[in-house]
Amino acid sequence: MNPTRAALPQWLADHAPAAPLAPAALQQVAREQIHAWGLPSVRDEEWRWTNLRALNQPAPLTSAAPAVSPLMALLPDALFIRFIGGKLSELPEHCPPGLHISRLSDAAPDARQAAFAPVAANANDALLALNTAHADDGLLIEIAPHTELSAPILIDWQDEAAAYAATRVLVRVGAHSRATVIETAQAADTAALWRNSVMVIEQAENSAFTHIGLGLDGAARRLTDRQFVRLPRDARFTSINLQFGGQLVRREIEVDIRDTGAHCNLFGLMMPRGKQVLDTHTRLTHGAAHTTSDERYQIIADDSARGIFKGRILVAQDAQKIQAYQNSRNLLLSPTAEIDTKPELEIYADDVKCSHGATIGRLNPEALYYLTSRGIPTARARALLIQGFAQEILDLLPLPALAEWLAERITQTLSQEIPAQEVPVQKVAGQEVPAQETPQ
Amino acid sequence: MKLLDIHNLHAKIGEKPILRGINLTVNAGEVHAIMGPNGSGKSTLCQVLGGREGYEVTEGSVHFEGQDLLERSTEERATAGLLLGFQHPVEIPGVKNIYLLKEALNAQRAAQGLSEVDTFAFMKQVRELTKSMGMDDAFLHRGVNDGFSGGEKKRNEILQMLLLQPKLALLDETDSGLDIDALKIVSEGINRLRGSDRGIVLVTHYQRLLSYVEPDFVHILYQGRIIKSGDKSLALQLEAEGYQDILDAAS
Ligand SMILES: Nc1ncnc2c1ncn2[C@@H]1O[C@H](COP(=O)(O)OP(=O)(O)OP(=O)(O)O)[C@@H](O)[C@H]1O
Ligand SMILES: [Mg+2]
Repeated sequence: MNPTRAALPQWLADHAPAAPLAPAALQQVAREQIHAWGLPSVRDEEWRWTNLRALNQPAPLTSAAPAVSPLMALLPDALFIRFIGGKLSELPEHCPPGLHISRLSDAAPDARQAAFAPVAANANDALLALNTAHADDGLLIEIAPHTELSAPILIDWQDEAAAYAATRVLVRVGAHSRATVIETAQAADTAALWRNSVMVIEQAENSAFTHIGLGLDGAARRLTDRQFVRLPRDARFTSINLQFGGQLVRREIEVDIRDTGAHCNLFGLMMPRGKQVLDTHTRLTHGAAHTTSDERYQIIADDSARGIFKGRILVAQDAQKIQAYQNSRNLLLSPTAEIDTKPELEIYADDVKCSHGATIGRLNPEALYYLTSRGIPTARARALLIQGFAQEILDLLPLPALAEWLAERITQTLSQEIPAQEVPVQKVAGQEVPAQETPQ
Repeated sequence: MKLLDIHNLHAKIGEKPILRGINLTVNAGEVHAIMGPNGSGKSTLCQVLGGREGYEVTEGSVHFEGQDLLERSTEERATAGLLLGFQHPVEIPGVKNIYLLKEALNAQRAAQGLSEVDTFAFMKQVRELTKSMGMDDAFLHRGVNDGFSGGEKKRNEILQMLLLQPKLALLDETDSGLDIDALKIVSEGINRLRGSDRGIVLVTHYQRLLSYVEPDFVHILYQGRIIKSGDKSLALQLEAEGYQDILDAAS
């Protein structure tokens, strides 16, 4: 045990669940790990920018007043699953043929084993170990081979009514099948539940799976979430990560491209405001030749908020002829907001096409002036510009109704706001960090 | 009736005085042309009237329909009926042209106490205007001026003008960068706005435009002042003789 590391906060130990779901041996290892590691700290490489101090205190309890998910009206066909305070409270009444959804505790031993397969390696993974030790509810979503789900599966996380929750979800997508899972998180602004979740996605050959992570209301929500994806031959994975609030949201998306012909899209938009911290780390491994990836992330940070994006791409030595594109475009709306963006490319193959670029800009004062010169009020003009910037990512959503609703929501929210600080017109030139294109 | 009344207007950009005593009155029904060598302050005058930040009025006054214009914000000037056609319209990727048009029209209607425009009627009107400007409907769904050619940007300015029907249009070199056909289309657009209750100010370097849109008055702006005014024959004289004689005579 490393004596310099802080122990797990006492309140967490008090919240340790009575009946965690992981196989006993894995639980035992995980408990020893978190005993040794405590929570990750800024001294851990993967946590340099994200301080978890907020987690030292338990959240005050809020009463459960589950809102109706706005997505139910938007996507009336969706198969609806609800968790309240990290506890499964609703499953779809009927599933279409080829789809099986169950509580993880009801799943067969092999599925449970698979759900807990990812193992923590070091202190950077402390939250994974914590989840393995604590997860006491979750889901198994199983899609049989050759199944095309026309309606999305919607997991509605009502992050209230508890201080802490640990959940585990396993998604298995059969060969040649297609499916979409949408996870939305929302809570009252006073609810400060910390949910530490893990999702494991196992895709079979030539399957196509889309995951949409949607962080909606809940200014005080705390979410740490880790996703593991494995792509065999010709499989296709798309992640669309849209975060619009939360005191602390940290997502880690790990995709392991293991065989030829597989493709991965990683798209993200984070819009922190107030003092929110929204953070996503992606880790993508091209482990086989002739695989491709497309990654686009945007952060729009206002007030004194922080947005963090770190995108790691590792190309293994024999992964020749791969193509990896990464782009991070960011918008800083206030002088006290902060954006940290870091591409990290590690390339061991020699015949690859990789490009990456990162820019941080401000609202273009010329554009703002142009819009107001047409009579559009300043706050509205600003909202249109911000929404226009975000639109690039929203346009990547495969569900037009959802994209439209989100766009409207962004403009509405922003138009009602009086900008904390008038954007100085003419005085500030866009501080653009030029994009770097690095052909390898 | 006086639409625009500029009196002894002085303005600077940063510490640099650019406008040095402009006097100009535009009455309803009139078309004025402002000409003058590069750097004489024509665009600066337009931007000062538009209310752009960083342009500081140091002396003088501007009244629009009898009201002090300078104390109003840019958006208030626009909803009051002033429209600025930019010499270099900015590109705004991400904000669709059609949204700009709708937001602008609704802002104007809100200022007049009217409800939001009916979407169907709006689309119909916009399509007609787009067609009249020789533009394809696809332009409506692109980002504002995003990747537009110089001429397309200018047509887009006139499209906005025709939709918003301003009381006073201030068009800064709307004719530059246009081919002959586009110049004709743009001129026809401007002529359609022309009317007894409206005023138009054209900033231009070329007689070409003025043969399509005949001005009632022509002014020559030089070093921040109007040094000569006349009727449309002044533009013809300039075309034939250049600026030198007039500038010499004025100094
Ligand atoms: N932002 C600025 N800072 C400093 N000087 C400026 C700025 N903008 C314009 N100027 C100066 O103000 C003067 C007038 O410029 P303006 O653009 O008004 O001229 P113009 O008459 O429109 O010229 P053109 O016919 O070339 O369009 C020029 O000397 C120009 O360099
Ligand atoms: Mg000019």
